Amino acid sequence: MSLLVLSPVAGRVTPMSQVPDPVFAGSMVGPGVAVMPSGGRQDALSPVDGTVVTLHPHAFVVATEGGQGVLVHLGIDTVKQKGEGFTLHVVKGESVRAGQPLISWDPDAVTAAGYSPVVPVVALDADAEALSGLPDGGDIGAGEQLFTWD
Amino acid sequence: MADDRPEKILAALGGADNVIEIEGCITRLRCELEDGSVVDEAALKSAGAHGVMKMGSVVQVVVGPEADTIAGDIQDLL
Repeated sequence: MSLLVLSPVAGRVTPMSQVPDPVFAGSMVGPGVAVMPSGGRQDALSPVDGTVVTLHPHAFVVATEGGQGVLVHLGIDTVKQKGEGFTLHVVKGESVRAGQPLISWDPDAVTAAGYSPVVPVVALDADAEALSGLPDGGDIGAGEQLFTWD
Repeated sequence: MADDRPEKILAALGGADNVIEIEGCITRLRCELEDGSVVDEAALKSAGAHGVMKMGSVVQVVVGPEADTIAGDIQDLL
């Protein structure tokens, strides 16, 4: 069952290897791709249909019924912002649809605070070969297909 | 299922007395330590860590998606 993973944010596609964090850059928790968000305050969307299994102000994991977990991290080291500027629209354990707004946040404020606002989208514990259609650059809209996970 | 990772990770971080603060962040444990030099990276990896990153007294231990649970368990041990 191929899973279509949508981009949680609009912006410029950025290879995971360029994310300024060794965990993501090294694909330690799984392969994927990142998006450098454009614009100010916005909603981050769920990449897939599923259940919110982990939820922080700055990051979340949505797991599908088939057990595929997609991690979305809003910026790097943004845990240090202690949720400031992040507004949650869902609770942990909630069922969500692909494209549903989960968290509103402001990438510009993240940048102003001295952090990278880049958004890694990770297929947790996937084999790199399981992902296809990964863009290596260019612009993407929020809710547009980012990659396919077989 | 008994999970001995929290005990092993805490021991490898130098024990409860060496931990100032620990928090889980989706895939990793962020640990602020009194003394970063005593961290046993080999023991962390044998306890299931995918990776260890040290920046002075701050150590990040990559443990995968159960980091939040493990961090909570370690906090219970402190």
